[in-house]
Amino acid sequence: MMLFSKHLKSFVAAVFGIALCAHGAQAPQHININQLSTTVEDVVVPLPNEIFGALNKLGSVNWKEHVRSDKGPNFTERPRIALLLGTVIADGFIAVQAEDAPTVKEIGQRVLALAKGIGVGNSITPHAKAIIEAADKRNWENVRQELDRTQNSVQQAMNEVHDEKLSQLVSLGGWLRGTEVLTSVVKQHFSADGAELLHQPDLLAYFQTRLKAMPEFNLPIIHQIQDALVEVKPLIDVGSAHIPAESVKKVNEITSRLGNGIVTRD
Amino acid sequence: MNRFAKILLRASSLLAAVVVMERTSFASVDDAQSFALQAAEPYVKQGFQVREDYWGGDLASGEKKAVRQQLFKGNEYWFWLGTEVDRAKVSVHIYDSDGKLAEEPDSWEKGHFAAAHVIPKTTGSYFIIVSVEESPEERTHWALVYGFR
Repeated sequence: MMLFSKHLKSFVAAVFGIALCAHGAQAPQHININQLSTTVEDVVVPLPNEIFGALNKLGSVNWKEHVRSDKGPNFTERPRIALLLGTVIADGFIAVQAEDAPTVKEIGQRVLALAKGIGVGNSITPHAKAIIEAADKRNWENVRQELDRTQNSVQQAMNEVHDEKLSQLVSLGGWLRGTEVLTSVVKQHFSADGAELLHQPDLLAYFQTRLKAMPEFNLPIIHQIQDALVEVKPLIDVGSAHIPAESVKKVNEITSRLGNGIVTRD
Repeated sequence: MNRFAKILLRASSLLAAVVVMERTSFASVDDAQSFALQAAEPYVKQGFQVREDYWGGDLASGEKKAVRQQLFKGNEYWFWLGTEVDRAKVSVHIYDSDGKLAEEPDSWEKGHFAAAHVIPKTTGSYFIIVSVEESPEERTHWALVYGFR
């Protein structure tokens, strides 16, 4: 993914042009963020396991109860397949956390089938094979790496054929499933630090912007996600305040509803 | 200098020029990414998971770019910047959402590699500022990868 907002160019040059000179000068201790663009474009969307890793450090999580291996329906609409693919990859990360080899192997096969459904199966075949082999050996680190590679290869293949919007839906599907599980875990054993992991307003704004630019994907699930993100925004965009248990519960309800919508035929 | 030596000298100069031009023409962000990943290599042994995804582009000397990235409290991150232009000097620094330098003191710059280490104090958006401080090229490819544990 080629990153970086064009909007940032001039702002950054202005802010830093004088402050930092060549020859590795000391970085300024403070910069004026307001002079940077407020848009979040071309951000690298965190993988679910990035969030799960932070969750693990807060206390032990019973990942087994979050494992999901339903095959789900076979959609024909490419945006729906892309969303589902993102959630299935996220399910792969959950199964890795739970060290559930049979589910990881099923997910490897499912990922391949979905990738074929949107015409990028060829780039995924070696990764799906590697996922299954690593799961057989219970080499969880390799499974994690292959899941990341899978998502990256899917998205690169989509970008190459100018299907960037589908690529963004893969990320969105993964983010929604990750958020659903995050809120489910934090809801069960609430802590301020756990709830703080939901503080992702710029990421949410990024997805909102992307969805707005997809009017051609006129599907109920896309509209439901758009509406849901509007509902979620005030719950997680709280500045330096704490996110209360009630908000975590609400975000969980919303993302669970969307999660069901993504895996269920209309 | 005899005639043969002159021809040999010219031929070698031409060959050298072609090699340089080829390197310049065909160098890409992918090459820069290989260098960024090279900088990340020792950290993988320390348990850092390096993301497949990356940022990249090209910059003129003295030019900077910024990207906003969501980081999670509880994780530890390294950002590695690389370029294939071996006489270039690059830098990477991390600021929190208030614009305060957020990186750890062990962040480093070594010629065409640089790395910034951050242990986020809060979950939220951070700004990663990359810069080509110095380069013999008009435009210098760069790539930034990150890892976490």
